[in-house]
This record gives sequence, C-alpha cells and structure tokens, in this order.
Amino acid sequence: MGFGPMMSSLMRNKTGAILVALQIAVTLAIVINSLFIIMQRVEKMNRDSGIDVPNVIITDVRGFGDDFNVVDSISNDIELIKSIPGVIAATVSNHAPLTGSGSGTGLRTVADETVVPVGTARYRWSEEGLDALGVELARGRNFYPEEVQYILPTSNSAAPASILVTQALADELFPDEDALGKTVYWGSLEPSTIVGIIDHMHGSWVNWSKLGNVVVQPGKPAYTNNRYIIRVQPGMRDEVMPLIEQRLGESNRRRVVKDVRALEDIAARSYRRDRGMAIVLTVVISFLIGLTGLVIVGLSSFHVTQRTKQIGTRRALGARRIDIVRQFMLENWLITTAGAALGVILTVAVAYWLEVSFELPRLDWRYLPGGIVVLWVLSSIAVYEPARRAASVPPAVATRSV
Amino acid sequence: MFNYNVKLALKSMRRNPIMTALMIAAISVGIGVCMTTLTVYYLMSSNPIPHKSDVLFAVTIDSWNPLRPFDDDYPERAPHQLTFHDAERLIDVGKGIRQTAMFESSLIIEPAGEDQLPFEVGARVTYTDFFPMFDVPFLFGSAWDRSADTNGEPVVVLTRELNERLFGGADSVGETLTMQGMRFQVVGVIDTWEPTPRYYDPINGGFQRINEMFIPFSLTRVLELNSTGSDWGWKSEDITSFEQWLNSESVWVQYFVQLDSPRDRDDYVTHLDAYVTEQKKLGRFERPMNNSIHNVTEWMEYHEVVANDARVLVGLSFLFLIVCLLSTIALLLTKFVGKNSETSLRRALGASRNAIFRQQIVEVAVIGFAGGLLGLMLTLLGLEGIEYLYEAPPGLVNLDWLMVTTAIAIAIASSMVAGLYPAWRVCRIPPAAQLKTQ
Repeated sequence: MGFGPMMSSLMRNKTGAILVALQIAVTLAIVINSLFIIMQRVEKMNRDSGIDVPNVIITDVRGFGDDFNVVDSISNDIELIKSIPGVIAATVSNHAPLTGSGSGTGLRTVADETVVPVGTARYRWSEEGLDALGVELARGRNFYPEEVQYILPTSNSAAPASILVTQALADELFPDEDALGKTVYWGSLEPSTIVGIIDHMHGSWVNWSKLGNVVVQPGKPAYTNNRYIIRVQPGMRDEVMPLIEQRLGESNRRRVVKDVRALEDIAARSYRRDRGMAIVLTVVISFLIGLTGLVIVGLSSFHVTQRTKQIGTRRALGARRIDIVRQFMLENWLITTAGAALGVILTVAVAYWLEVSFELPRLDWRYLPGGIVVLWVLSSIAVYEPARRAASVPPAVATRSV
Repeated sequence: MFNYNVKLALKSMRRNPIMTALMIAAISVGIGVCMTTLTVYYLMSSNPIPHKSDVLFAVTIDSWNPLRPFDDDYPERAPHQLTFHDAERLIDVGKGIRQTAMFESSLIIEPAGEDQLPFEVGARVTYTDFFPMFDVPFLFGSAWDRSADTNGEPVVVLTRELNERLFGGADSVGETLTMQGMRFQVVGVIDTWEPTPRYYDPINGGFQRINEMFIPFSLTRVLELNSTGSDWGWKSEDITSFEQWLNSESVWVQYFVQLDSPRDRDDYVTHLDAYVTEQKKLGRFERPMNNSIHNVTEWMEYHEVVANDARVLVGLSFLFLIVCLLSTIALLLTKFVGKNSETSLRRALGASRNAIFRQQIVEVAVIGFAGGLLGLMLTLLGLEGIEYLYEAPPGLVNLDWLMVTTAIAIAIASSMVAGLYPAWRVCRIPPAAQLKTQ
C-alpha cells in the first residue's frame, strides 16, 4: 500500500490536518512541562524526613495567672503523658520539625565573626528528644540527663557544652573531616562540642534548601508556650491523642491545652502548596489528554463518514480491510508525528520560560521521548475504532448512488 | 432574521450532537481551567485598598549586622521589620502623621465564671491609627483614645467573630474581659474585615485570617508581650530581662505610615535619615544609610505575595485554552464541510454569502455561550477544589461579577475567533456546485 491515497486525502483537508497537528503540539508542551513539575513536587513530598512522622503527636499548652509555675507544670505534664499506655517517649521542645515555624541560627568552625556562618535549624530538647521523634543517632552519644536543664526565657543560658548535629550539617561544617568531637561556634562565638551525629533528620521549613541542617541543644525550654513532642507505639496515635487532651485539661485548670495534633497532619499542611500544585496540574492534564483524544476520535469518525465513497471504491478495487485500517492509522500517525516535532520545540520554549521566569529547575530531556511515545500510543488508540469502522464499509457502497 | 438564524443553528447542532457536545465541552473545559487559575491569580494580586495603596507605606531602616546584609539574595534590602526601640522612637519622629508600629501576639482570655474555659486568642498589638489608616469598619464603638497609645491602658477592640463568641454578638462596648490577669475594657467591635491579601502583614502570611483582637502597643511593656510572628536577630546580646529584650537588636516590629503627598514623603524620609544619623553617632546602624518607604503594591511585591505557582498555572492554562480553541476550529471546519450540500442549496436558492456567514457565526456564538455557561460552573467547582486543597479560609476564594463577565466574554470572543475561518470557508462554497456532483 502506498502513501498515495493517504497523502491525497491529507492534502484535501490540509487545514484540518494542520489544526490537529498544532493541537497535539501544544498538548505535548503542556503535558510534558506539567508532568515534570508534578514529579518534582511528588519527589519533594516523599523525601525521607528521618522522623517517625505517623507516630508522633505535637501538643501545645500555655499557662496563665501569677501562681502558675511553668517548670512544675512541664515536669508534671511529661510525667502524666508518659503514664498514658502506648506512649514511648516525650519531651518538651522549643519547636517541632516540619511545622513551618522554628528557630534558625548560624554555626562556624572558627571563632571569627567575619566568617560566613552555616545556616541551620535549631532545637532544644531533653535526652528523650531523639526517641520522641524516632530519629536515629548515627554515631557518638545522646545527651546525658544531667546536661538537660530548664531554660527560662530570661535566663540567657550560656552555650551548651554538648550538642548534636545532623550528618548533613556536619558535612557542610567539616567537609573533609569527621565532625564528631569537633568544636563549633555560635553567633556569640561561644563554643560547643559535637557529641553525637544524627543520621538524618528534617528541620522546620520544608521549602528551605538546607532542610537537613539541624543542630540540637540540650535543655527543657520553659517559655510562655510549652510544646511537647510525644511518640507512641505504631497504630496507637489516634487512641492516645484524645487521652492527652483530656488528661492535660483535667490536671491543671490554670492552663490552656491549645492544640493536640498529629505531626502527620502538620507536615501535610506544610506541604499543602506542593500537593495542591501537583493535584491541580494532574487534573489539568487529564482534561487535556481526554479532550485531545476525544477530538481525534470525533474528527476521524467524521472523516470516515465523509469518505465512505472513497473507501468503498478502494475496497471494490481490491484493497483489503487491513489496508484501510492501515491507511487511517498511518494518516493519523503522520499528523501526530508532525505535531510532536513541533511540540518538542514548543515544550522546550515553555520549559525555558518556566526556568527563566520562575527559577524552576531545567526540564529533564528524557521526558521528551517519553511524551512522544505516549502521544503515539494514545492517538493510535483514539483512531483505531473509527479506522476499524472505516474498513467495514462494504465495497458495494461505492457503486451505490448517494 | 436573528431568530431564524438561531433556529437554524439549533437545528444544525442537533443534527450532529456528538460534534456539538465536543465543541461545547472543549470551550467549557478551557474556560473552566483558565478562569479558575485566573481567579486565584487575580485574588492574590488584587489591590486590597486601591484608593490608598499609594499613600500607605511600610518603613524599613537598616539596623542590621555591619558584616553582612539582612538578605544575602537581595543585599540592597534593609531588614523588613524594626527593632522595638527604634519603632518606639519613630513614633516621635513621625509626630502628627498617621502611623502605627505593630506585631502579632497572643493572650489568654481567662474565664469569667466556673462554667467557662480559658482560651487563647491572637492579637494585633498596634496604635489607634491602625483603624483609620487601613479603613477598618466598626460595628460598635470605635478605636481607643490616643491617650491609650501612651498610657498602657487595658482597652481592646474585638473582631465581630470574637464578639460573637464572647458576648453573643451584642454591643459589648464597655464590657470587660480578663487577660493576663488584667481587666480589659472593650471599646469597639469591628465589622467583618478580611483584606485579601492581608497587605499590612505579608511577613507573617499574606493569606492568613486577621487577628481576633487589637490592643494598644503601649501594653507591650506592661504585660511583657512577646511576638508570635517572625523575629530575626543577628547580634548576640546578653538578655536576662524583658527590658533588655526590648532594647535588643532583634527586629520584630512592623511599621506603617500614611503620607498623602510627595512632599510629605520626602519630608518623612528626611526625618528617617536624621534619626539614623543620630543613632549612628551612638554607634548603632553601622551599615550604609538605607532607609526606605514602600507603598502597598511595592510591599506585596517585596514579599512575593503572589505565589509563582499561581503564575505558572495561569500560563499553562492559557496554553490549554489554545488547545481548546484549536479543537473547536478543527471541529467546526469539519462540521461545516459536512454541510456543503445544504449551503450550496441555500446559496442556489438565493441566500447571499453574507447571510450564510451570519448564519455560521450565530451558530458559533450559541455554542460559545453554552460553553461559557458550562465553563462558569466548572470554574465554581474548580475554585471549590482550590479552596479545599490549599486550606484557604472559607470565603477567601470567590468569583465576583467582573470574573463572571470576563468568563462569558472570553468564551464568546474565543469561539467567534475560532468560528471566523470556518465560516469564511463555508460561505465561499459556490452555489449549486455541490448539487451538481451528486
């Protein structure tokens, strides 16, 4: 079978073919760029936080009144929380990771103010902190209980002797050496010694490029708001949460239990923009692929009806059914490929626009061949049914006068 | 004639229901996607106070670390907030003009009776000028007296919502409530007020709800109020008391002024410069002089209130609309070609080219209108989805009349554009040519 009948029929409806090719080109540009953005967001959301997120509960309380003793309150609360069955560990902390609110600081390896410090999230918790988050200590040791003191807002505590850092922070501070046992300096140039290295843990701000940089000071922050990090046995979270709220509420009337929340929900909220973007784009490209597919089906069916006579004539002259199907499929393939070729240029143009205007990462080129293959398959599926119908036109139709 | 055209259009649409449905679907989906993203973008970038956006200014002065800038990515920028003590002194510098220093805090409302529970509320700690500057509407009472700005009087302005919760929505002016062990007197209740974006505080979130109550800035010392918003520090200072914290170099106070004329603006910046020069003599402000005022639009751009994602979505969805239009053109063309014989017949019977053209355009417009209506419904659905996905406060994402009209206009205009070429093609069919071949 030759290109003859196909080309002649394409030439007869030039504008139609060009329009479909254009539509395919723009579709490709949108789908590939959107897919690329979706994949990035999904990757971002699925990063390993190093924390046992599903089993961690964050609780905020705040006392009031002159007779409220914050230190007593914290120590009673921790004791009470740990008496609830299913609770593995609990600590008071200045902040909780993945929440979007936290404290940041800069560390240096030399006591020199002119050296640019390495930025990191900073936490302060007790010897149970690691366990309360389910974070693994890779090397070194955890805090000793005697290193953990209550920190009042007005007590300008000196830099702690011992600190923990994540491997990511250790690598940035000491790229060529082992950080364990090394001394680092705070903004005040006071020194602290790294006594333990946390394998991996995310800090507070999920959109920060240095999310893995975390430094931990020993201590129990006794500020106006007291935040507890609590870890429970797998599957116990939803059972324990109302108990915490109820028991804390009953134990002290001079205090408001502001919030008892699953870290999982807080983290999901931190990622809501990324999740939202991924979902919106998925909906958009589903609509787009659906629409383009339906249009191809619609146009092909219409052409089949239009060309009943031509098909009949060809069949009468000896063309087999397979030849007719092949003609339609090939015709469609040619249009799709022309569209895809134009689409590649358009895709790169859109990717360039996104990269330059919005500082989005550069498009991974492997998405292009992938997208083209998907287009081929989809458009073939879309045109198959009309083509099959075309092939079933009986030869006799050609001779009938319409 | 128009009625006849519409009748013919409907007839022709019915004759080919699948094609018609596809065209309407293409236009409605295109409109739905475009209008959803456009509405979100429009809300994010809309000017929340158009008549005053060029007379309200955020003030920044560079009290930051002499060794490095506040923001390494924008080294020319001063810190976006002020130290507490600078803010206090700027109130004197700007005497006579409308101005306010402010920050977010939170207090516990203590129960009045045994049956009530204490609860925490967010507060904006500010000056009485806040209300007239930002056009805050009052339901009951008014802003506090200017004297409360200096005396640390325990007065409070409630939002409508909090007043509902505390006093069942009644006029509560003169009522009292206890916070931090102190009896506060309610002086006013504001009416519903949700500026979108929350332009006076993009630092702590441009799309947050407003704080539930307002109390005088002069209470900061009295109640030792801490900021629950962002604070940034660069200097390591020995802080063992609240007073030392207030005098520290940490920046956590926002500052707004209203300056009505260019002359006022020049004068104010001169005053700022004089203040900083004087402070430099005391050994502070070691960075180069960098005082500026930013009007509302500049301030929102500064804080990138419009998320890049929203712009990307608008761009992609307009490409989507192009696909929808291409579909419509292709479908129309095919359909009109299919009507060749009918057109020939009408031409042979005396219909002018003009009449045929008009006929096609009416048909396209009917399709466009139907697509637009359906598209609007899709937009409402889309916005509902966006509100859910991004956990926006209810009522934040809304379709106003401007957007509705825009949607219909885009639908009809784009379908007309799509219909022009096919209609032109159709009316060039020679009369009777089609009849002959049959």
